[in-house]
Amino acid sequence: MSGHSQAAPAPGRHPWRQWLGDYAFLAPFLALFFAFTLLPLAYGMGMSLFRWESLSPLPPEFSGLANYREAVGDAYFRSALRATLWFTVLSLPLTLLVALGLALALAALRRRSGLYRALIYLPTLVNVAVAGILWRWLYSTELGLFNRVLRGLGLGEIGWLTDATWAMPSIVLMTLWWQVGAPTIVLLAALYQIPGDYYEAARIDGAGAWSRFRHITLPLLRPVLLFAVVMNLIGSFQVFGQTYLLTPDGGPGRTTLTLVQYIYEVSFENFRLGYGAAMSALLFVIIAVAVLFQLRVLRHES
Amino acid sequence: MKPDGKHNPLWPEIWLILSGLAAVAPLLLLVVTAFKPEAEVLNFEAVLPREWTWSNFVRILGTPEEIPMGRWFFNSVFIASATTLVVLAVSSLAAYALVRLRPPGSGVVLGVLVATMMIPGQVLLVPLYLILNQIGWIDTPMALIFPGAAGAFGTFLLSQFFRAIPRELEEAAVIDGCGRLSIFIHIVLPLARPALATLAIFTFMGTWNDFSGPLVLLDSIRNYTLPVGIALFQSSYASEYGLTFAASVLSTIPVLVVFLVFQRHIIQSVAMTGIK
Repeated sequence: MSGHSQAAPAPGRHPWRQWLGDYAFLAPFLALFFAFTLLPLAYGMGMSLFRWESLSPLPPEFSGLANYREAVGDAYFRSALRATLWFTVLSLPLTLLVALGLALALAALRRRSGLYRALIYLPTLVNVAVAGILWRWLYSTELGLFNRVLRGLGLGEIGWLTDATWAMPSIVLMTLWWQVGAPTIVLLAALYQIPGDYYEAARIDGAGAWSRFRHITLPLLRPVLLFAVVMNLIGSFQVFGQTYLLTPDGGPGRTTLTLVQYIYEVSFENFRLGYGAAMSALLFVIIAVAVLFQLRVLRHES
Repeated sequence: MKPDGKHNPLWPEIWLILSGLAAVAPLLLLVVTAFKPEAEVLNFEAVLPREWTWSNFVRILGTPEEIPMGRWFFNSVFIASATTLVVLAVSSLAAYALVRLRPPGSGVVLGVLVATMMIPGQVLLVPLYLILNQIGWIDTPMALIFPGAAGAFGTFLLSQFFRAIPRELEEAAVIDGCGRLSIFIHIVLPLARPALATLAIFTFMGTWNDFSGPLVLLDSIRNYTLPVGIALFQSSYASEYGLTFAASVLSTIPVLVVFLVFQRHIIQSVAMTGIK
């Protein structure tokens, strides 16, 4: 990383000619990065300060913080924020606990762990539209397999996606099925990296299974767990595909209409782009605050 | 921490058998239901079809003007492959410049890359739509390919990897009179093959499965990718389960084949993201 690592300029050439060649390596990426990451970022911030409606005949008009004020007072925005938080609170711990359980079981196996690992990863390969079609059918009140089983057992039926209490947990369950594979593999790889000697030494000292897990596995897994929590958090706050496909209308009483789905609705169905950009900026702030909070809490525990 | 011995412990294996079944059963159900005639889907009697039929598949593949599955498939393959190629090319060049050539300003660029890595893609979608609309790329594959290669992730991943390559190899090549480009192509790229493969797998799978990008940035049905096409298909043929299931099965087969061929590598790549 230090200055001496810089390649020495060829003899007889000015350093700036050397640099020009170096920048040529960087230029294609930087051009894309500027045009499609930095520019949208700045553009989005700017747009959020305008009354910008692409169906309206009026040109965009500067409106200061009006869009942000509207979001704070918008009951739909608040309900979307609640739905997103509820999804995250249910999905994040469930997904990571199941992934950890699966990874521990896989690490304990002597044979066939590759087979089980592949089976558990399989649903992740299915794209969200297919997963949505499949689970909408499984959850269907009349035709769905789940209710057929419940009726068969004489337990009546559940409005998996039509009952306000059940709709979000149903989406979380589908997400668990679809997404648990990747964190399982990440955690398993981290488990394999723990030297077996540590466990051997602990066993000789008379440590039981729980205490070995508590004092060896968990501390050594902490950095990878932290990474998995942060990735899942960022993904959960942006949940869109599942909720949009399982409950296109936002679910019973809009209980499954998440922030990104509301932003999509406002921006691309009502074409209120300025307001959509303002809510996107708020979403970014919420995610950033949540990530920093997680990092702080989980670091302090160690 | 792999234990030795021959037999699997009981409880972990039971838990994994149940989880494996829960993972696979819905997919198997999808496949067998795609082979049922519509009446059997509606009046469910057994899991397996009593009368196996190809009619759902025939209808999908036989009416391309009504259901352009082949076209969506081609669009998906083209967009995912092109994005992957662009990502590999621009990210490897940039990462090499940032960690080895290090022209003035490299430190600042790396700092900006790390800072923007956490920005969620959805946040940029509204302004991105307007920018692409200005340059007339909406409803073209370019709207997905170039923004898809503009993220910091690929360059960051490769720069971490290039740092670990021993410098002596490059120094020897400099003494032999090789230029930057030839060192990059003949020495660095071959050594970086595992990292390039990881980045390629991630980019390809991420682009192949992307839903919100194509939903917002593509307009006409013929230009859709598979996920958006299938979702549209489902909303227009909602009552015909057998048909939508057959379409789902067809769209999943290519990914499944890729997974079976590159399984070891894909799993290793996923594992690597957490450890790096």
